[in-house]
Amino acid sequence: MSDLLLVSTRKGLFAVRKRGAGWAIGEPHFLGDNVTLALVDPRDGAWYAALNLGHFGVKLRRSVDAGATWQEIAVPTYGPDDTVATGDGKPAQPATLNLLWSLETGGTDAPGRLWAGTIPGGLFRSDDRGDSWQLVRALWDRPERGRWFGGGYDAPGIHSICVDPRDARVLRIAISCGGVWTTRDGGDNWTNTSRGMYAEFMPPEGRFDPDIQDPHRMVQCAGAPDALWVQHHNGVFRSIDGAREWTEVVDVPPSKFGFAVAVHPLDPNTAWLVPAIKDERRVPVDAQLVVARTRDGGRSFAVLRNGLPQQHAYDLVYRHGLDIDASGNRLAFGSTTGGLWLSDDQGDNWQTLSTSLPPIYAVRFG
Amino acid sequence: MPRVVLAPALARWIAPAGGTVGERVVEVDGADLATVLDQVFARFPNLRGYVLDERGAIRHHLTLFVDGVALRDKAAFDLAVRRELHVMQALSGG
Repeated sequence: MSDLLLVSTRKGLFAVRKRGAGWAIGEPHFLGDNVTLALVDPRDGAWYAALNLGHFGVKLRRSVDAGATWQEIAVPTYGPDDTVATGDGKPAQPATLNLLWSLETGGTDAPGRLWAGTIPGGLFRSDDRGDSWQLVRALWDRPERGRWFGGGYDAPGIHSICVDPRDARVLRIAISCGGVWTTRDGGDNWTNTSRGMYAEFMPPEGRFDPDIQDPHRMVQCAGAPDALWVQHHNGVFRSIDGAREWTEVVDVPPSKFGFAVAVHPLDPNTAWLVPAIKDERRVPVDAQLVVARTRDGGRSFAVLRNGLPQQHAYDLVYRHGLDIDASGNRLAFGSTTGGLWLSDDQGDNWQTLSTSLPPIYAVRFG
Repeated sequence: MPRVVLAPALARWIAPAGGTVGERVVEVDGADLATVLDQVFARFPNLRGYVLDERGAIRHHLTLFVDGVALRDKAAFDLAVRRELHVMQALSGG
């Protein structure tokens, strides 16, 4: 099991390490700064941290010594003619980097390759460990992009990037709000692969429009990569054919609303969700924090609560706030209230690592 | 040679590792805003991306004072700078 967890928070990055029987929260990196995501590259051990400095823009840092020192590296940038037009009636705006919303490593055959998803909707590729970035024009130039719109932000964004373990040229990405898109040639050609999803928030005639779907988070089973799970704005969807078709998973207890989802790395039928009251409230149902787990592809769920606060809990878990390690046994999640919980038994029991961290945006095992 | 005052929140990014963070004052050549900023960036290359966005525009949440007057038009790069440029973070972004 992984003994390192990187926790990205509103006030810094925390490396949480297993120490004996317990876990130790390390001294913060970037104390006071808004760290929106972090990543450990399994190919070379490098750490990456994305910062949103507000006044001073979005920055990216890399460490080759497990966080002892950090180097500022390049961020994705848009060109002078790039604009963001959205499908919800906002006037077109010049495209500038608002947020690094996803960061993933490429395949083992391209050791320096990284993929970054951004708000306002551009996907970027680096072949030199983040020293330079190229906008994936073939996706950016799709006419459908003009109909995407923001979910929770002014502009649309790419929050999920699944690099197929069988063939690193195959990427599936998820966009709020622009649906799921797939390339099979490393980014030169793209297809919307959202068939089966529907959007309750749209007028009836637009509900099945693939280009306005709001997947909140998409994850892929590493050992069975045709299996993907999506926590969508209005429910949970699952694909067993590599995103060609999506089927709604109904009757998720205690609520079908949420942001985060995790799938077991070997068993495509086992997945976890952290439900919340939809949509206007976004707090745990009955102020009880729970995790929903299925072992049968979504036909039934167990509601897991051992070790989690069961009264006065108003913790929301954002889309990158839940992660599972490569063993499939260890999970962790962090909340907007600064709560951090970890399980070594697939969620049956949770231990509290903190209830007083800064608001947590993302957790990621290293 | 105008003085350029970099507020602590900005000077922080050019402070030596472990160094004290505080206001930083530098003197540069130049008589207009574009030249003065370019001179600052020549001395501190990493500041460019903190003051300007990728389009070369002054970031939304930065405030500049030119000779004591708040810069109203952030695109007025040809504005004369006689004595002092003050670069600070706008409280709106905090």
